[in-house]
Amino acid sequence: MKKNSENNPKKSTRRDFLKKSLATGAGIAATGGLVSAYLDTSAAESGETVKVLSTDGEIIEVDKAHIRYPRVSRKESREGIPGKKFVMVIDLARCKNARACVEKCQEGHHLPKSQEFIKIYLLQDTENTAPYWFPKPCFQCDNPLCVSVCPVGATYKRSDGIVLIDSERCIGCKFCITGCPYSTRVFAWSDYPEYDEDTQPYSPESSSPGLEGTVSKCDFCPDLIRVGKLPYCVAACPMGVIYFGDIEEDVVTNGSETYQFSELIRDRGGYRYLEVLGTRPSVYYLPPVERQFPVDRGFDGLDEEVRSRYDNTPYVKKQKKR
Amino acid sequence: MANDKQSSLLEEFIPQIERTSFIQAIWIFFLLAVIALGFYALYLQIAEGHAVTGMRDNVVWGIYIVNFIFFMGVSYAGALISGTLHLFRAEWRKPIIRMAEFITIIALLIGPIYILLCIGRLDRLQYLVIYGRIQSPITWDVIAIATDIVGCFIFLYLAILRDLSAIRDFQDAKIPNWKRKMYHILALGYQGLPEQKKRLHKATDIMAGMVIAIAVIVYSVLAWIFSVTLQPGWHSTIFGPYFVIAAVFSGCGVLIVVMWLFRKIYHLEKYITRKHFVNVGVIQLVLAALFGYFTFSDYLTKWYGSERNDELLIQLLFDEYFWLFILSNYVGVLFPMIVVGIPKLRTIGNITISAVVVILALWINRYLIVVPTLESPYLPIQDSRTEWMFYNATWIEWALSASGVAFFALMMTIGSKIIPIINVSEMGDKPVPEEEIL
Amino acid sequence: MKKIKIAYFLWMVTILMLLVPALSAQEDNEPEEVSSVGTYLNFSTLYSSNDSVELSAKLSIRRGRTFIELQNAPITFSVSNGTDQLDLGEAVTDSTGFARLTVPLTPPLPADDEGLISYQADFQGTDKYDSSSEVFMSKPASLKVSFFEEDSIKYIRVTGMQFNPSGEMEPIAEESIYLFVPSLFRPLPIGDIWLDEEGTGYVDFPPTIIGDSTGQILVIARIDEHDLYGFVKGEAWSSWAIPKYFLAEEKPTRTLWTPIAPLWMIITLIILLAGVWGHYIYAIIELVTIKRIAKENEY
Repeated sequence: MKKNSENNPKKSTRRDFLKKSLATGAGIAATGGLVSAYLDTSAAESGETVKVLSTDGEIIEVDKAHIRYPRVSRKESREGIPGKKFVMVIDLARCKNARACVEKCQEGHHLPKSQEFIKIYLLQDTENTAPYWFPKPCFQCDNPLCVSVCPVGATYKRSDGIVLIDSERCIGCKFCITGCPYSTRVFAWSDYPEYDEDTQPYSPESSSPGLEGTVSKCDFCPDLIRVGKLPYCVAACPMGVIYFGDIEEDVVTNGSETYQFSELIRDRGGYRYLEVLGTRPSVYYLPPVERQFPVDRGFDGLDEEVRSRYDNTPYVKKQKKR
Repeated sequence: MANDKQSSLLEEFIPQIERTSFIQAIWIFFLLAVIALGFYALYLQIAEGHAVTGMRDNVVWGIYIVNFIFFMGVSYAGALISGTLHLFRAEWRKPIIRMAEFITIIALLIGPIYILLCIGRLDRLQYLVIYGRIQSPITWDVIAIATDIVGCFIFLYLAILRDLSAIRDFQDAKIPNWKRKMYHILALGYQGLPEQKKRLHKATDIMAGMVIAIAVIVYSVLAWIFSVTLQPGWHSTIFGPYFVIAAVFSGCGVLIVVMWLFRKIYHLEKYITRKHFVNVGVIQLVLAALFGYFTFSDYLTKWYGSERNDELLIQLLFDEYFWLFILSNYVGVLFPMIVVGIPKLRTIGNITISAVVVILALWINRYLIVVPTLESPYLPIQDSRTEWMFYNATWIEWALSASGVAFFALMMTIGSKIIPIINVSEMGDKPVPEEEIL
Repeated sequence: MKKIKIAYFLWMVTILMLLVPALSAQEDNEPEEVSSVGTYLNFSTLYSSNDSVELSAKLSIRRGRTFIELQNAPITFSVSNGTDQLDLGEAVTDSTGFARLTVPLTPPLPADDEGLISYQADFQGTDKYDSSSEVFMSKPASLKVSFFEEDSIKYIRVTGMQFNPSGEMEPIAEESIYLFVPSLFRPLPIGDIWLDEEGTGYVDFPPTIIGDSTGQILVIARIDEHDLYGFVKGEAWSSWAIPKYFLAEEKPTRTLWTPIAPLWMIITLIILLAGVWGHYIYAIIELVTIKRIAKENEY
């Protein structure tokens, strides 16, 4: 509560006491997983609700976005989940720019609409090759230049391969943004009301946007992984484009299909983007062969604003000329 | 203690310290107003966040970092020019050495402010010390700049010590008591005893060498902030020496302009002659050649090898930034060379104009290093709000830039009110024989 | 001391502020739900090898095109033989809407002539939610996983058995069985087996599967959504998997991105700083000496 009070007086007024009272007063006894959930009402409402029975037998309805899991300590969040090394495989043959990953990620991390942790590019390697949609999360490199250049150790690499940012350590010098050759990092240019600290102590693992004046990025959702859930983008993709898993186990899954990672990479010619830079990413791509959709399908149903973001791509420019 | 020559010089320069003219007061007031505007802009930036600047996720560093490089570069003028000329015992340096030292120390104080303006959380600056990681070029920079500031202060102090004692001993000066007391304390009881003289000389020699060395390190470290990244346009081995040369080059330009201004304001025509302008102009010519050579090497190899992203960057430079590129890297190199290279053109006015061109060209050069590179990353800028794709500095950034320049001018003015802008003691040591000037 | 007091006061205020709206909230909330909402039960059975059946029911309501799971709802399970209803017990739904109950199969549950048992799940309903009920019929079965080696080729063997009402066991013939190994998020399919008339089938042990650090792995055989058996599962541990190799163990400690810098960097920095600051100190000592000389000369 203390960290943001000096430059954001409006925060405390945003508290939704009604919702909070349900969390503390009535209480929800979730018993499903390893940990029990609690309510965080600071988050923006997703509109989707979950019915839960309170301990006195009353059924109450809470917003899905408000359900949280207890956070690990900052110290623990620096070490990583033991014995794991996470890897992502993105099947370019299936992506049709449905943008469910972008939206679910924004919702899950409470990002403002002006920030994306995962972006979808319309790449065309050369004039004579075919364009394809290219979702780009953070590559969680094994030789992360962003971590090397950080002057205060606010961003760090963990034993499970995830590169995280400690929003309470970051001084906002933006060096890591220029250090990342994949443009994955974003800066909090102004204060986002979506972010509010709740009663839980801050953890870099928790899914929240960066504080004003700090850097944030895609984090492979370690808070979800800890409770055995797949990251938001993986679970959201209707096409099953994104596979996720533990490379030590050699298994990746997109939720409905599960493969041996090494076999998938072998059989589908998996590669890492811009291998030549020596950053050793943890994200692999399967080339866009035998595609399930023509590339134009990616423009279907897009907002005009989102559509205009692709106006400067060679493909769209060429289409417009015709 | 002071010899006759020194006393007569002091008599000439003491009015500069004694009183401030009306025009000077207006000038100072004007500078303060510009600085106040900068403070207002700074307030807005802190209150509303960096969103008020033109910087966005693609171009995360804008003209603040350009100003940072620029002022750090300017600070190099004094270090190198006064340091080298001191070590080489060049006689003609004496009238201009004080200005060079002023430029160094003032620019060195302004430069780091601009990197602070790029930082999102100023309330956490102490983390740089508490959690410092020495793998980060920013940490190198913090250490190097701190060392540089300390070194330059010691050097400047050594250089003004004799003048301080001269003013202290100059009884006729009509200056307030507090000022007299200040001179008394600052002069450290220096009386020009042989032992004192010897020690001062030794210390000055050592520090002259140190400031040259540390300035090379500081400027290289600054270049490495860019060249250690993988960004096309930055990831270049040549950047260290390139930045060092560009720094001295811009410092030279600023020195010429400052010489011209003080010569006009304090009527120093007797001391600062065309010879001085030509001499610094010749240094500037050599540096222009070197700067041109480094620029050419850097872009030639990028263009010839034509790696995809280098090619895109060069295409952007010759497309969107064509005129700026021509001005900074062609005009900025050739103009000072022509002006000083052709004896007929070597007038004080021409050399000063060429210096102004150099200053502008060098500022633009840094802009062209920082901004277009960030506008052409490895992954093309896509799926990003269209208004976020290109960088345009906002008035906030311009106001803060202007107030940096105003602060520089203000400090130069105030400096000249405390210590004579001409090194009185050194001038008094020995008359300057004409033939010793180049 | 003062701090503690303030903290205590803040706690009191917080609790009060939470309590007050909690009381008023109830009044606000109640009129929103006028008519009760229909609920849906998804019910199935799973036979694991250990002679028991796991009943699982998922309770949800429909909102537009999506289903929303209900949590903490009590579900009662029973079994019927056409006339009598035998209570099996009660379970409460978890955060994913599932209520699970494991029931032993000895003594046998009442079954019809074909050996099918009619299980039933019931949600009583509340003021706001309708009651719902679902019946699932299945025949107890079991899958046994074992391993054998022949001509230095490793195989997985699965034997399927079903329980007749008479109590005797009979092979599950001509059925497809799917094999999995567990993994972090979802089980990894490693192949399928066709059971012959004797109820057995085998398949090569996959050579590239990674187990734990000693090469142990759990192999699971499953029949899913079968008309007769519902869900059947059998599992066994094998030591034939590739031992897991931990990358994390050889984590580099002194690189550019680790917290501690490479040694050469620290040494270079110390040499540079010592060199420069040494000279600074020398210059300052000279200045101090100048001052001392002045004092000695009683200036």
